[in-house]
Amino acid sequence: MERQANSELIGSPISEDEALRRLGLTDDASSRYYAAWWLGRHRSDDPRTITLLLEALRQRSVHNPDQDLDATAVARNAARALGKLGQAAHQAIPDLLRALDDDDPGLREAAARALGNLGAREAVEPLARRLKGGPAGPGRAQQGSARLVEPCEALLEALGELGVANSEVLEVITPFLDHERPVVSNAAARALLQLTGQPCWGERLVAMLRHPQLQVRRSALLDIGACGWLPALGPICATLAENSLKLIALRGLAEAAPSPGSAEAVLTAMDDLL
Amino acid sequence: MTTSTPHGELATLIAAVQGACTGEALLEATEALSAKADPGSLGCLMEILTFNNPGAAVAAVEGLIKIGKPAVAPLLANLDQYNYGARAWAVRVLAGIGDVRGLAVLEQALAEDVVPSVRRAAARGLGQLVLDGLGPEEREEATLRCFTSLEKGQSDGEWIVRYAVAAGLEQLAPALLSHPDVVTQLITNLRSLANEASEPVVVVRLRADLALRRLNDQRLDRSISTPELSA
Repeated sequence: MERQANSELIGSPISEDEALRRLGLTDDASSRYYAAWWLGRHRSDDPRTITLLLEALRQRSVHNPDQDLDATAVARNAARALGKLGQAAHQAIPDLLRALDDDDPGLREAAARALGNLGAREAVEPLARRLKGGPAGPGRAQQGSARLVEPCEALLEALGELGVANSEVLEVITPFLDHERPVVSNAAARALLQLTGQPCWGERLVAMLRHPQLQVRRSALLDIGACGWLPALGPICATLAENSLKLIALRGLAEAAPSPGSAEAVLTAMDDLL
Repeated sequence: MTTSTPHGELATLIAAVQGACTGEALLEATEALSAKADPGSLGCLMEILTFNNPGAAVAAVEGLIKIGKPAVAPLLANLDQYNYGARAWAVRVLAGIGDVRGLAVLEQALAEDVVPSVRRAAARGLGQLVLDGLGPEEREEATLRCFTSLEKGQSDGEWIVRYAVAAGLEQLAPALLSHPDVVTQLITNLRSLANEASEPVVVVRLRADLALRRLNDQRLDRSISTPELSA
């Protein structure tokens, strides 16, 4: 369902009014799915947007066997869109906190990321609670599924983004450094770098830029970019990965650079990758 | 090394590409072939663009850019037969070579391509066309076409394309010195990309601001009426 709807996105421009109309089509999940994505992507500031996205997020509880998967997919996209809408979406925080306890791990993941994006500090405690128990608990692989028990990567990233560095949060994150999946341990290092600023976590992520698997190098690129860790400039340019991803990582460095001079070095590196 | 003839060596390198059984072997063989930048490898390098192996394609793009002008006509001739991915790589090669024969392809790519990385490469290419060999009138026409195309690209929905437009406008500016009105317009475009009210993405604003500062240092403003160029 999600993949299909995504493939329809390319080359079908619609207006904001049309997106809002489609989001209101309660019996047409695929139209709503696209509309929710569209409104987030275009940072819609129409007064109706938040209300309609909240309805889409809540209608998750509609019990119709034929519609259930679609309603879940719509709710996930609604959560993602709300995360992109900044201040106006702060009224959605209670609903997103509730979604953090949903049965669907995909919706928990989308809600965690949205709460991080919105800077919802009230989410720190529930996010940390979901991670308690480390790799053997919420970080355990589920049988017959690629998912872990909890969407650990998203939960860790959200904690890093929210920036509350109390000892409880740090204690919950630290065990994930030893997670068997490099992308999860990267997420832990990323959160610790954001929360503590200690170079050892940045160096750890930089070392992952030489990991044999492309997928791990990609995740390290995005993690370093999210932290804006300037010492990684050279290693980012040297790693074997697509220019598009290197550019995203370097954007993070440039935007976090403390002076025009240090930003200029990053911009020069970006120009070479265009 | 001194005993092998270039042709023999080239044939060996091409055979290594054709015989590569793994993605990694193909990447290595392509890198070795690209390093030669020999026009005799054109056909082989162009074929690699169609293989759906991004690592090898990047290496082939580098080789084709190094070969330069001799690669332009064969690439343009093959463009219509290429599959989607290969077309995207070919746009990057044309952008990298900067030959004016690629201008129409770059214009179309920036305006219409659905893949942001292709539009990004096209914008970069439109800023760095090499126009030295052209007569004054042709040069002027080509430069103005680049400007018009970049100006439209300024409203692209993807930040990285607008970033590339800012970089492209900076590179293009010196070629427009004989048109003070166009330089003024170009500065206005960069200012809009540097302005928080019109450009939401910080790094795009940083790049546009850098372009304005550099153009100011080059005293491009001597030819135009706006005094506060870096404002």
